[in-house]
Order: sequence, then C-alpha cells, then structure tokens
Amino acid sequence: MAKYILKRIGFLLLTLFLVATITFFLMKLLPGTPFNNPKIPADQLAILKKQYGLDKPVWMQYLTYMAGITHGDFGMSYQYPGQTVSGLIVSRMGPSLQIGAQAMVVGTLAGIVLGAIAAIRKNTWVDATATIFAILGRSIPNFVFAALLQLFAYKTGAFPVALWGGFTYSILPTIALAIAPLAQTARFMRTEMVDVLSSDYIELARSKGESRWQVVAKHALRNSMIPIVTIIGPMAVDLMVGSLVVENIFAIPGIGEQFVKSITTNDYPVIMALAILYSAMLTVIILIVDILYGFIDPRIRLSGEAN
Amino acid sequence: MATTKLSPDAFKHVKVNTAEQERIAKPALTFSQDAMRRLKKNKAALISLWVLIIIAVISILSLWLSPSNPNKQNLNYSNLPPKWPGVDLPGLNGYLNGQNKYAGMGKNVYYLLGTDYLGRDLLSRIMVGTRVSLFIGIVATFFDLTIGVFYGIISGWRGGMTDTLMQRVIEIISSVPNLVVVILMLQVFKPGMTSIILAIALTGWVTMARLIRAQTLQLKDQEFVLAARTLGESSVKIAFKHLIPNLSSIIIIQTMFTIPTAIFFEAFLSYIGIGLPAPTASLGTLLSDGQKNLQVLPYQLLYPAIVIVVLMLAFNLLADGLRDAFDPRSEH
Amino acid sequence: MKFRKTMVAGTTIALAGVLAACGSNSASSNGSSITRMESDVISTMDPSTNTDAISGQALIDTMDGLYRYSGKDLKPAIAKSQPTVSKDGKTYTFKLRNAKWSNGDPVTAQDFVFGWRRTVTPKTKSEYAYLFSGVKNADDITAGKKAASTLGVTAVNKTTLKVTLDHAIPYFKTMLVNPAFFPQNEKFVNKAGKKYGTTSKYILSNGPYVLKDWNGTGNTWKETKNKTYWNAKNVHIDTLNGQVVKDPQTALNLYQSKKLDIAQLSGEQAAKAKTMSDYKGLNQSAIFYLELNEKKVPIFKNTKIRQAVSAAINRTEYIKKVLNDSSIAANNVTPEGLFTKGGQDFSKTASKTDASATKYDPAKAKKLWTEGLKETGQSAPTLELLSDDTTQGKRSAEYLQSTLQQNLPGLKVTIASVPFKTRLSRAQNGQFDMVYSGWSADFPDAISFLDLFTSDNSYNDGKWSNAEYDALIKQSKTTDANNPTARWNTLLKAQEILTKEQGVVPLYQRVQATLQRKTITGLKYNPTSSYDFVNAKVK
Repeated sequence: MAKYILKRIGFLLLTLFLVATITFFLMKLLPGTPFNNPKIPADQLAILKKQYGLDKPVWMQYLTYMAGITHGDFGMSYQYPGQTVSGLIVSRMGPSLQIGAQAMVVGTLAGIVLGAIAAIRKNTWVDATATIFAILGRSIPNFVFAALLQLFAYKTGAFPVALWGGFTYSILPTIALAIAPLAQTARFMRTEMVDVLSSDYIELARSKGESRWQVVAKHALRNSMIPIVTIIGPMAVDLMVGSLVVENIFAIPGIGEQFVKSITTNDYPVIMALAILYSAMLTVIILIVDILYGFIDPRIRLSGEAN
Repeated sequence: MATTKLSPDAFKHVKVNTAEQERIAKPALTFSQDAMRRLKKNKAALISLWVLIIIAVISILSLWLSPSNPNKQNLNYSNLPPKWPGVDLPGLNGYLNGQNKYAGMGKNVYYLLGTDYLGRDLLSRIMVGTRVSLFIGIVATFFDLTIGVFYGIISGWRGGMTDTLMQRVIEIISSVPNLVVVILMLQVFKPGMTSIILAIALTGWVTMARLIRAQTLQLKDQEFVLAARTLGESSVKIAFKHLIPNLSSIIIIQTMFTIPTAIFFEAFLSYIGIGLPAPTASLGTLLSDGQKNLQVLPYQLLYPAIVIVVLMLAFNLLADGLRDAFDPRSEH
Repeated sequence: MKFRKTMVAGTTIALAGVLAACGSNSASSNGSSITRMESDVISTMDPSTNTDAISGQALIDTMDGLYRYSGKDLKPAIAKSQPTVSKDGKTYTFKLRNAKWSNGDPVTAQDFVFGWRRTVTPKTKSEYAYLFSGVKNADDITAGKKAASTLGVTAVNKTTLKVTLDHAIPYFKTMLVNPAFFPQNEKFVNKAGKKYGTTSKYILSNGPYVLKDWNGTGNTWKETKNKTYWNAKNVHIDTLNGQVVKDPQTALNLYQSKKLDIAQLSGEQAAKAKTMSDYKGLNQSAIFYLELNEKKVPIFKNTKIRQAVSAAINRTEYIKKVLNDSSIAANNVTPEGLFTKGGQDFSKTASKTDASATKYDPAKAKKLWTEGLKETGQSAPTLELLSDDTTQGKRSAEYLQSTLQQNLPGLKVTIASVPFKTRLSRAQNGQFDMVYSGWSADFPDAISFLDLFTSDNSYNDGKWSNAEYDALIKQSKTTDANNPTARWNTLLKAQEILTKEQGVVPLYQRVQATLQRKTITGLKYNPTSSYDFVNAKVK
C-alpha cells in the first residue's frame, strides 16, 4: 500500500513537471509583453525586458524558472507589481475553495437523493421528472443559469445580488456551481441504483422480509454510492471551469477569474503557477479517489492494474 | 380403489416435421436491428432523434432559405423585440416595457424573434448559430473520436509495454486541466473556428480512448478474434473487420455525449471572450451577447437559450436511449 | 465508514470557510460614506510601479503631488504656489507647504528627490520611467549609464525643490499630477522593502484619504479620511469604499439595490442608464481611431483612399447605436476638454476647420474611393480589420466592417478580434491591414496625441508620414517651447494637416457612462480621467 502510494506520488511529480514544461513553452508563444503600460517607448521596453531577464533565450528562462520552483519560489506577478505569486494565489484562494467545496457537497448529496428516488420509483412520473430535471441541469450553460439566479435575487430581494461576505452571499454562487455535479451524480446514481436493486442480494434481503425502504437504506444506497467516488475527479474539473464564470458574474474575489486575466495579460509567473496548481489539485483528487476506492471496495486491488 | 387404465387410444402419434422444427417463430435480428427495435420502443429517444433531425435540417436549409442575411446590419432597427404581424400577445407584439418599439416604422417591418444591437435579424442568426454550433460539435467530436478510437485500439490490442506507456501518457494528459491548454492554444493560434475545434478535440479524446481500450481488452480474448488471429489475419484487418464493428455501439453512445459537451464548451469560450470572431454567430456568441442584456432585452437570451436547451435535452435523451438499446443489461 | 468521514470533512472545510467569511464582514458605518465601483482591482499602491487607472485613482485619493487637479483646474498641492521658472524654461523652483505624512513625518523636498530617483532607477522596474525623459540625465539613468543621484532634481532645503531639465518642456507642470512624480518617504520605503505598496500596512499617505482593509489583491477596500492631510478641512466624505464589479449587468443590479453609489456601465446597460436621472457622462482623455497600414497595404498611401474610409463612417449613429453611451464623435485625435488656452479648447478650435474630413458622406466616400483606386491602379481589396476582443471592440469592428463594405464599392473586410496585448503586439509589428485602437493621455496636452503620428514614433502603427507635420511637431518642442501662443498655433496647424490627410481616422472620444447618486455633490472629474474627492460632499 505504502509502496503504491509512493509510486503514485512519484508519478504525480513527473506529471507536474511535464505540465510545467509544456505550459512554459506554450506560454512563451503568447504574443506581446507582460507589461501593463501600453505606451512604453521601444528603448525603455528593451531596458525593462533586461531587468526581468526576458531578453535571455527561452530555454534559459525555463531553467531559471524551474530552479526557482524547486525552492518554492514562484516569482513575482507582473499584473500586481510587488506581489509574490504565491501570496496572490493564497489571498484569493479562499472564496474559490469555499464555493467549490460547498457546490461539491450540495451537488453530490442532492444528486444522490434525486438519483436514488428516481431509481426506486423507476418508470413512474417521479423517475421521469427527476431525469428531466437532471438533464436540464446539464442543458443550461452555467453563465445563463447564474444570470437567471441573479435576476431572481434582484427581483425578490431574497438573496444578495452579488458581492462577497458572509454565508448568504455564497448561496446563489453555490447553487449556480452545484447544478452540474448534481445532474451528473443524479444520472450516475440512478443507473447504479437500478443495477443494485435488481441484484441477487437485494432479492435475498427482500425475501427475508425486510421492507422496501429498509433494503434501500441498509444495502442499496451504500452500494450504489461507491462508484460515485470515481466521477469526483471529472466533476472537480467542471467546478474549476464553472468557478471562472460564477466568480465573474457574482463579483467574487476568487482565483478562477484571475486565470483568464493572467493569460490575456501575459502574466507569465501567474499562468505557470495556476496551471501547476490546477494540475496538482486534479492529480491529488484522482489519487485520493483511487486510494479511497480501494478502502471502500475491497474488490479493487490497488497494486495491480485492472488487466 | 379401482385403477383406471389409460387406453392407448388416448395418445396420438406426433409427426415430426423437419421443416417446422427449424422454423424460428420470430424474425432473426442482427445486433443493430435488435438495438433499433429497442430504441423504437423508447419514446423519449425517438422524439429526440426527430427533434435533432428537424433542427439539423432547418439549420442547414438556412444556408439557402434564411429569412434575411444574418450579418446584414440596419442600425435603425437595432434591439427590436419580436413582432408577429397580426398577433397581439405580450412578447410577440413588438412591445417592450409597455413601449411600442416598432412605432413609426411602417407595417412591413417586423422581426419574428426581434433584432440585436446592430439590427440584425435574430431568427436568421439563431439558425446560422445553430448550424455553426452543431458543426463545431460534430467536427470536434469526429476528431476526438478518430484519435480516441485509434489510440484505444492500439493500446488495448498491443498490450504489454506499449499499453503501459500509452496509458501513462493518457494519465498525464488527463491530469492537465483542459481549460489551461484550450485557453493557451486559442491565444497562441489565430482565433477562429479551426482553432476552437482543434483545441476541443485535442483535449477531449482521452475519455474515448479509455473506453475503447477497455472494450478492446475484452474483445481481444473472444473466440472470433482468436479465430481470426489463428487464420493469420493481419492486426490492421482484424481491427477494421472485427474490432471496430464491435466497438460501434460504444463509439455511437460516446459520440452522442461528446457533441453536446463540445457545443457547451464553445458557449463557455464565447462567454469568457475567446470564442468565435465576429460577426459569425454561434449559439455561444448569441447566448453570451444575450446574457449581458438579460434584464434590459430578455428576448435576446430567451430564444437562443431555448434552442440550446432543446438541443442538449435531445442529445442527452437520445444518448441515454442508445445506451439502453445497445446494452440490454442496463435496460430499465 | 471512510466514505462518510470524507463527506463530513468536506462539510467542515466548507463551514470553516463560511465562518471565516462571516468574521471579515463587519461593516462600520459611522460618518458619511459612499461605495464606488471599480472595473478591476488595485494592482499596486507603489507610485513608481503603478500603471493602471484603478490604482491611479486610489493613489490620487491617498497622495498629493506638487499639483492636484480639481476638475479642469490644476492647483498647487504640496507646492505652496506657482514655481519660479528660469527664462530658458529649464529650471523650476518649487516652494513646498507644511504637509505631513500619515505617520506624522513632514513631507519634505527630499521625499520628492527620493521618489523621483527611485522611479528612474532601472531596478525599480517602473513602466513610467520614460515620463522623466527631459529631466536632466533621466534617459541615461534609465538606460543604466548614470547613477540615479545625477537626476536633475535637488532639495535646496526642506521646503525648496529645484528641478533641472535638459530642454524646456511646456507641459511639465501637468505631468506632475502623474503618481510617478509623487513624493515617497525614504525611511518608510526602505523599511517596507519589497512589500512597499502591496497591502494597506505598507503604504504611507500624504493625501486626503488613507487606504484601509486592502490585502493587496482583494475586490474590496476602504479609504478613510486622513486627519493629517494639510487640506483636511475640505475633505467632507469620511469613507470611500471600493468594490470591484466586472459584469455590467451585475453593476446595474447592485446600483439599483443601493449597494453601489457610483457605477460605470457599458453596452445596453449604459443605454438603460442614460434614461435614468442619476446618469452622468464623464469625458475621458481617450481617443479611439482607425489606423491604416500604409506599409502593408499600398493603396492606403493614397490620401483619397484614407479620406474615403473616414467619410464612410457615420460616427453619430455608431456611437448612439453601437457604443450606446454618450461618447463624442471625434473630428480629430485630440480629445475635447484636454488642452485649453485662455478658455479656448484645442480640439474644438481645430474642429472649426477640419470637421468636413470626418463628416459622414457616402456619396463623397464612394467618389474618393473610386478615384483613389484609379490613381493607384489597384482593384478593391479584401482587408482584415484588427480589433480587441472586448464587447466594445467586437461590436465596433462589426459596425465598421458593415459600413465600409456598404459604402466603399468592392471592398471586403474580415475581422480579427484578439486580446488587448495581442492586438498591441500585432499593431506594432505591422501585422494588420486596419486596426481599431485607442490612446489615452499620460498628461493633458495635445502633444501626447499628436506626437504619436510623427514618422519615427514607435506607436505610429500605420506608418503615415508627412514631412511638414514632423517639422511642425519638432518646432513646437524647440523654437516654440517657451512661447505658449506660438506653440498653440503650431500644434493647431499640425492637427489640421493630420486631419485633412486622415493620416489616422479618428472615431470617437470615450465618455464613460456612469450612474451617481444625486446625494453626492461637488465631485469633480479630471482631465486625467480620475475623480477628485476633495470638496465632494454626500447628503
């Protein structure tokens, strides 16, 4: 087990290294300079480039950068003169993580309930409604959905229209973000639950005289939920994409909206750090899911491949 | 108690009709016929299929039969709400916030779905936009599928070191957030439809490759493949003759899930401002333009939103239906 | 089971976040306050490295330079009175008033010397160091050839500052409102080190307000009245809250829900705002124009072709229907309200003679276009129009594409919308046929616009070149430097040539559509496109 985890962590580091390398060279192809004042005269531009070491060949800049990050030095932001990249990310990470975590929890829990109900009441109007609801959740682009939520807040005054501070401010962004994982989980849950409900041990439990709800609560729910762990990784990716939109519309001081901005302004160190951070989060989530999966479902052996 | 003997007369000799013995009461169905039969029983999927066909046909026909030129501007008619001549229903009578926006424009001026900020006919733009979005979705999916199928088959078929290596590559690629790559790519290359399609395809093929590999691993050990191998058929021939036909169901299902994802992603790119260049309309550009005016001019969001929702619903329901049809085990 | 535990853990993290967020939300509301919207965050409060308008506004709120704009009036601030200027216009002597930093230190001439030297030192990496060009030795210092201590600025004593220039700069005083020329407290800056200007803790102010609750990257901040400010008696609003909002719809919603007191809008939201009684249009010193690449597209060398392009654009309709705000149709590249002499506005004076060049006239456009094509012996081309990928940029490109195609027979226009920096880079490298671009003033003088179109300026993307024009611009900087009237007339003549020749096709001067509560009075907007909150009141 320990060996397996070590191996995976080694692989994770290799992945991050490759991601950093690819991003670095791709990023250097971006046209334009990282400077914010569009009016710098040509000779001054050359002086500034020299100060930042941007006059050196790209491979040299790459080596310098890589040497830096091994010491935990992610450089200084160009957009925010004087701010370290790590400081910038840390100071804007909180709201993004909060909304992301809330959306994940709310989305999966609601999805499980919805999916389970649909499966138990299979082929009834309940099932149809739940299915349509789940698919609708996947059918509305999140920027449209978020704007509709905001309109709702504006018309009713029940929630803050936008901005950040306090729990009430996070409710609408969370809903806007949770709709995608909700739909995905509900759909997955329904399929799994239908499978489980028709399996032999459920029949057995039923024949022993347990009530329908007892069976569901004691056996079916738990066993159907296990595979959901596998889609947490992809859902986390969706949340990253979604956070970008939601933070913009609800004016939330998060990290998502920084990402596009850092790319369009050529803020090299921030682009790098965020690319590495996103990959790291993703790989760590996948790793945790895999390990967790081994614990929950003893049939999966971690050390060997499926084949 | 007296026992009654059965008389031999009570029995009749049955003649065995050899022809009848071999007759199959139900018509023989191939796999795909069987799937089609099951699909036909699924009303939601069938309706979805028809809806998709109708949308596709209309959007293609708009190449020749568009109500007006989708890029033709008329600033005198900008931001007009929908007006249906002779219809006096709120939302369709040319009134917005109690004002007749068509006042003083003559009787012949009407736009069924209104106009946008440059006075372009929204109906025509939605038709074109649907076509463009479908095109992006389908072409991106096609690339996605081609890469994914070949990668998956090679990985699964060759096995051993090749497989391990290829799987490692996939693992690395899937841990790069595609958002990073897509946005960077769109900045580096010339913005436009080709870049968007390429960016979506290059980051989306991994799921397909994984599914195909898993399926290939299963097929590899089946008798008909073993038989073909024993008969000395080349790997390429086996792949095309035996593997791909047997993988077709998974390919079709996955395609149906990938197209809407691609359409969605294009919409997202438009929202963050790196989508299609102007003045090309796509559902994404229409939605993101409309979203900006949700409260002031709600109709500009409403109609493109209806189209994308219907499209997404249809694709998803059809995909569900197809999956159930191809995979009887998961039948409801 | 393990699974449930992770769920619980997830919820705990979420809840912890919630609680943390609750804690930070303690609004104190004693005294008068307003909340103004900004379209982006403050990126730095270091006057040497600041580049953007949002940080610039915060710096003007919290700092005072030698001068301060109050609306259109340039008033002495830390300078006690107008400086004594030597006859050749090369030496300025400023007397400083008794002012204090927010930590109680006096603001001295040495603070200016330190601040200026710090900005020109290459190590500071200031992107505005070039503004000092003209101050003695500045160019050599920024190029690393001389030490910063040789800069032509000296503290004669605590309250006397002497500036020596290489040559006379007629607009030198207006440049001094740029934060790059603000004083900096040496002791404080050295103590803060690299962190100077990165959070409210590492800022020292000498202006009307001090910045609070700013973590360096956040979407909100607070500016509270600075009691040590020399002019504190004229600061009436106790607190200015800053709030970043990027989505115009959200901005309108927040304004209408009374969460914002000043909000900037664009697009259809601006059109909506125009119908409201709180609407205000703020004239900015920013001009948008079309540059035609004479190097890549030879027909653009023909004056008639350039004039045809200009006459084919209906600026009034474009502003009303496409931009939706109350921007001003531009007749020339100098913004209105920027440069005045004796109550006369430069741009308006120039317009008297050159308005016909930018008048929408489809018939004239068509005529000039066909004649021009005949003269060059070319057939109508297909051209690419390069623009920003912002909503405004895309819409403008769409409009220009349509109107040019409609009015110039045979012309086909394609659009390339790219991010701002890509556009800049492509424009500068000559990789475009036509480019939609803009320019805003570093300092309010016509020269900051007219200088762009001289033959050797690196921002003359279209490469239009006119010897007479170049000579006039040079004359304004040399012979006419100490003679404001002659200089005015020379620049006016240059402007006329540029407009008549359409070396650049002016489109509009940006007017920022704004909603502002009626309870706010006395708030002035400067030619540098920023507010002056001194003297402003709120009921």
